[in-house]
Order: sequence, then C-alpha cells, then structure tokens
Amino acid sequence: MAHQVTSKDIPTNGEHLEKSKVAKLQLITGVIGGIGLIASIIYLFVGGGVEKPETEAHESSVAHGSYAFSWLFAVFFVTTIALGGCFWTFLHNLSNSGWGTSVRRMMENLGLVFPFLIVFCIPFLFPQVQQYLWEWMTAYKQATAAHPGMDASKALMHSSNAHDHLLAAKVFYLSPGFWLLRFFFYFIGLGFFIWLVRKFSVAQDTDKNPGTKNLFAARKHSSWSMIVFAVTLTFLALDLVMALDYSWFSTMFGVYVFAGSALNSMAVLILTGIFLQKAGYLNKVVTEEHYHIMGKLCFAFTVFWAYVSFSQFFLIWYANIVEETRYFLLRNTENWNLVSLSLVFMHFALPFLALLRSDVKKKPTFMIVLCLYILVMHAVDVYHMVIPERGPSVGLVVGHHPQLWISGSWVGDVLALVTAVSGFLFLYLRNLTSVALYPHRDPRILESANLHN
Amino acid sequence: MSTKVRRVYGYLAEFKNASQLYKAAEKIREAGFKKWDCYTPYPVHGLDDAMGVKRSILPYFVFIGGLVGFITAITLAYTTQVGLYPTVVQGKPSNIFTTAAFFPVMFELTILFSGFTVLFGLLALIGLPRWNHPIFASKQFARVTDDKFFIAIEARDAKFSAEGTKALLDEIGGDNIELVEDDSE
Repeated sequence: MAHQVTSKDIPTNGEHLEKSKVAKLQLITGVIGGIGLIASIIYLFVGGGVEKPETEAHESSVAHGSYAFSWLFAVFFVTTIALGGCFWTFLHNLSNSGWGTSVRRMMENLGLVFPFLIVFCIPFLFPQVQQYLWEWMTAYKQATAAHPGMDASKALMHSSNAHDHLLAAKVFYLSPGFWLLRFFFYFIGLGFFIWLVRKFSVAQDTDKNPGTKNLFAARKHSSWSMIVFAVTLTFLALDLVMALDYSWFSTMFGVYVFAGSALNSMAVLILTGIFLQKAGYLNKVVTEEHYHIMGKLCFAFTVFWAYVSFSQFFLIWYANIVEETRYFLLRNTENWNLVSLSLVFMHFALPFLALLRSDVKKKPTFMIVLCLYILVMHAVDVYHMVIPERGPSVGLVVGHHPQLWISGSWVGDVLALVTAVSGFLFLYLRNLTSVALYPHRDPRILESANLHN
Repeated sequence: MSTKVRRVYGYLAEFKNASQLYKAAEKIREAGFKKWDCYTPYPVHGLDDAMGVKRSILPYFVFIGGLVGFITAITLAYTTQVGLYPTVVQGKPSNIFTTAAFFPVMFELTILFSGFTVLFGLLALIGLPRWNHPIFASKQFARVTDDKFFIAIEARDAKFSAEGTKALLDEIGGDNIELVEDDSE
C-alpha cells in the first residue's frame, strides 16, 4: 500500500510549471502558429486557387476556396477539444466530484483555451471566406438583392433555384444577422463562464481564509454554465459544419460532435497529466488511479461516440429521406467510403478493444500512444465531417468530370492543421504556466490524492 | 444439552473500526492465511489490496460471453435474413450491406449474453445460492450489519491451529474472539 498523502506533502504555495521549462516549446508553437495564421489569412483571402490551365474554356479552371475548408476543418478540430475542457470542468464541479480535484486545473486550463480561439474564427466573418463555405449566405444575399423590399423568406420562394425554397423554411435560423449574433454569443457567453468558474478555483489558491466558499461558488455557477455549454457546442456545430449543406439536417449532429469532443479532450488531459509527471510535476497528487478513471471515461466515450454516430447513420439509412441521405451518400462516394469505414473500425473497434482491460489504462507509455492515436482519429472524424463538402462547393470540373477530391488540396489541410494545433498548444501552455498546476488548497485535494477505486 | 460432535468453522474476531480491521487484514495476509474473510457494515475502499485478494477471473468469462452473444447475433440475423429467407424491406439490399440493420441485434445480444455471464458467473464463483452459512451460528455476528467489523479465519486453512490462530487474532487487536462451530446439521 502506497504512502498516505497528507497536507505535509502538498507544497504551501502549490506547484507551478516553470516558465523556463516550456519557454522553448511555447516559442516554437507560438512562432509556427503566428506564421501559419498569417499565411492562412493570405491564402484564405488572396490565393487558395489550384490552377488548371489545360482545362477547356467553359469549365471551371480554378478551384477557389479550397483552403477555406481546410481552415474550417483545423479550427473546428481544436475548438471541439477546448469545448471538451469546458465540459469536464463544469461536470466535475456539478457532480461534486472528489476524485478529480488534482486534475481539475488541467480541465480548467484546457477549457479556457476556447474563448481565445475566436482569433482563429475571425476569418469566418468575412464574405470572401463565407461564400465558399456556407452557400446559404450567398443564396440569401442574392434573393434579397433580387427582390428588394421583400421579406427574405418570400424572396427565396421567388428564386428560380428550387433549392432556395428549402432555405425559405429555415430563414429564421439561417439568416446572416442571427448567425453573427450567435457567433459572438458562443465565444463571449461560454468564454465568460469558463473564465468565471476557473477564477473561483484560482482564487482558492491564494485565499487567506480557505474555506468552501469558492468551491461552492464554482459548483453553483457550473449549473447554468453547463446549459450554455450544451447550447454553444450544439449550435456551433450546426452553424459551422452542418450548415455547409443547408438542405441537410440531423437532430443527432450536436450530440455526435459532443461525443467526439468529450472523448478527445479527455485524451488531451491524460497526455497532459503524463507529460507533466514526466517533467516532475503532480507526482504527489496524481496516481495511476486517476489515469484509471480517466481511461475509463475515454472508454465510455469511445462507446458513446460509436453509439451516437451509428444512431445518426442508422436512422437516416432506414428512413431514406432525400434531404437526409445526401450527407452519407456523399461520404460513401468514391474514396470517401474508405474514410467512413475506417471510422467504424479505427475510431471505435480498435480503441474499444485496446481500452477493455483495466491494467492498460494505468500504463503511461501505452496511454500516450493510445491517446495520440485517438486524437489522430478525431482529426479524421472532423475531416470526414467537413472536407467531403469541399468538392461540390468548390465546383472544380476537369474534363467534364466534377471533382470530389481536389488534387493538391491536402497541402492546405496539413498547413491549416499544423497552424491550428500549434496555436492551440501555445494557448494551452500559456494557461498552464499562468496558475498553479493543481488546486493545492482545495478542501478535497487530499481526498483526491489518496484516491482508490 | 446436545453431545453431538460439531465441525469447527473457524475463529471470529471483532474489530472496533475500519482502520483497525484494515491493519489486521494486512497482518493476517502477511501471516500467510488463504481461507479467511473480512465482514464490514459498508464497503471499505482498499480492503481488497490489504487482504491480498487476487483479481477475479470473471471479466474473462464476461468477454467470452459477450463474444458468443455477438457471434450468435451475426449468425442468426445473417442466415435468416440473407441466407434462408431474404425479405426486401424498404428497398434495402439483402446481402452483406444489410449488416447495418443487424447492428441493434448484435448490440443487444452482446449485452444480454454479457449480462447473463456476469450474473451466473458471479453466483457460481461466490457459491451462491446456499441455504445457510456456518458463521451465522455466532450471535455477535448479527452486529456486522450495524456497527461492527469482523474477521473470520476458517479452520480449513492449512495454517490454522486452535491456539496459534487465536493468539494471532488477539495480538492484532481482535476483541470477543469466538470459536464458531457449524450448527447447521
């Protein structure tokens, strides 16, 4: 039996991640993120075309807007992970948990990345980027411009394009003004709540009279924060990804994104914990029991992700309604079929079997490999959500054949992903170094340190 | 008064609280006893480790149970719907691509078979159901459901001796040490 952790083992001022230890990493990620961001903005607004000079005159010869999809894919990938951090923070406070007090600060730091990600999302506010991603915006503008003074819904009904009639029914939700309002609500609303809940936790570290006041305040404010989180995640997924094809709808989409988000933020938390311990931190308060619990949560959300994604597919497949099937038809055409199938076996079956045994969840080396693998598969999952829409939207035609896959566009995907992940890491490291690594004066820190399950 | 010869079940000792029981359990484990058990009014975390209880083999049974359920479901759905009597429902194909429709069945049968294996495997491993347990012969043992903690060392254990075991229980802080005799005959 391991030594019982007592208050003598916990440093009075807490453990702080030394800035010098991560300065190099922060510099590298910051520089890559910064250069990538500038390159991306140039690419988004100026370039982004894949030249095809040999095509015939009437065919679309330049694939504009290819990079807009790459950027959406990369930004949405890191956003889901940050959102997951918000979720685990609120859940931990709300459920009055004792086990995770020593890892709670990592959740808070991960969640606090979210409000800063608005920087990456700003390009989405510009029509030059919007016109490629969200066709409903173009349709809306054209219809209202063609019929001045007419109600947007009626204007769309007057449109010669039959697809615009589908948009007329959704015009309350899919209108540029409301879209913009929601966009700012997500980042400012949820950003405020995660900041607030984290503030209570941080205030406890330096509270002269540490009681339960901050803990209870965090619990209280986590309640409506959780509602704001649920609304934000669901509608952010709808506005950014589901709206790529405005004719399509799925009531499972929000929860589908949530399942992936919770799973992958937990993978990031496990990785952070292991790397911090390897660097010599958290050793007093985080034990293999914590990794066991976090591994179990990973396992649970692997199953939940499969359950939800299959439910979405299954209902659409069985009902066979034209407006709904388009999503899966597109994703099973040509080589996208391989990506769809790989999600079944590699996003679900393999991690499911790998995480079944309880002892492997306690092995750091195994978990590093598995968590990185889960994150890679999550990137494939988001890729599968966003990128198949690129071909039809960009409308590249080569030799009379509309192109589903734009050759060479993967370079943009990689650039966008590297940029977004670097920026994400930079922000996460910044949060980690700004405060103590675990809430050392929390009333339940000893309970958590001596965890046994 | 009966003169019947009774089988000795073992020694029962009472402990005041969970912490004492915990330390006593570690000592009995170190003394090398195998057939003994702790009895507590509520679950004590970490007691398994203190007692040196090995991991149960039940998970392996359950994995096999689940696998059997999964294979049963595939076989059942596929042979009936694709092999023996293909029915066209909603224009869906009746070949390997129908598999999506079988997923609910696969899922349900995997869970059902695993559930059954958990229940019956557990009952088999712990030896339930049974009519009675010799330890109920002890009057003071009734308080285990209220506020007392007990350790019983069975006479079947190779290390058991009438004097030595009693001395050991006494030494590690057991109160009201009692020789429990099986009165079930």
